[in-house]
Amino acid sequence: MTTFGSSSESLARHPAAGPEFRRGLKESLPVLIGFLPIALVLGAQAADKGFHTIEVPMMAGGNFAGGSEFVAVGLWTSPPHLLLIAAMTLLVNCRHLMMGAALAPLVRHLPARKILPALYLMCDESWAMGLADAKKRGGFSLPYYLGLCAAMWLTWVVFTTVGAVVGPMIGDLATFGFDMAFTAIFLVLLRGAWTGFKAARPWFVSLAVAAATYLLLPGAWYVATGAASGLVAAWFLAGKE
Amino acid sequence: MSLDLWTVLTIASMGVVTYCTRLGGFLLLRNRSLSPRALAVVEAVPGCVLISVIAPRFVSDKPVELLALAVALLAAWRLPLMPAVLLSVVATGLLRHFL
Repeated sequence: MTTFGSSSESLARHPAAGPEFRRGLKESLPVLIGFLPIALVLGAQAADKGFHTIEVPMMAGGNFAGGSEFVAVGLWTSPPHLLLIAAMTLLVNCRHLMMGAALAPLVRHLPARKILPALYLMCDESWAMGLADAKKRGGFSLPYYLGLCAAMWLTWVVFTTVGAVVGPMIGDLATFGFDMAFTAIFLVLLRGAWTGFKAARPWFVSLAVAAATYLLLPGAWYVATGAASGLVAAWFLAGKE
Repeated sequence: MSLDLWTVLTIASMGVVTYCTRLGGFLLLRNRSLSPRALAVVEAVPGCVLISVIAPRFVSDKPVELLALAVALLAAWRLPLMPAVLLSVVATGLLRHFL
């Protein structure tokens, strides 16, 4: 645990890195409930597409971005189209560019040896919860964020692998309600960020554009177009004031 | 077990591309102080990203899925994270099973 709180800077801001890390582990639990069935399904689908069991944790741990992994497995052939899969991964994950930009002002005081792994582990849930926590407590807690990330990363890697091993036995998990966990998590995070209708106008632009893109274009364009259009709206709305 | 080189390369390329997306925005803004207008954009990022990811739920063509979303919306508006997740998952499972 000392590695997370050994610098004087971090100690000054967060006198107790250990408890903060454990707080992150604990608060990640609702997210893990959402991760678990989806990880199993992804692992099973990957095995079905011809992944060796060891290749599943390689992808899950090395990439750690579930949406792009479902897309990659969906497009997987033998041998795989490397450029197509890399391009689709970029498309699905280019929201990370905006996420990293939003995180930058809160973490730029940290040394590279901390920020590089912290960014490596950044997923939608850990990022949004880390930001929400920073807003609530008046500062970004790296050990709390790393606690969230560690629990999510481990769960993802372990249960995608389990999914690859037990494979065909778990075809029907998606028909239960587990996939709604993410929607509920995201909605709770949105409620936390809500400061009134006026500030949320870009969200509605994002929702409308993402939904329209989803209906009109195949693939995962909707995340990129939705997020980008909301930010363009935020830019213009801010200019009017 | 023999690993196929091309498969490993493809998986590695995914990891590299994704890490670049994680680093890119941070590196771009790391050493800048933002104008109030740019700050307003950065502050809109979380909401815009999260709502975009779940946007397909809002335009499902299955009434039962929209009903499940309504339950999740209500739960998320009223409850803390954990109860909201549990209620949404259980309600969605039941709605799909019985409707």
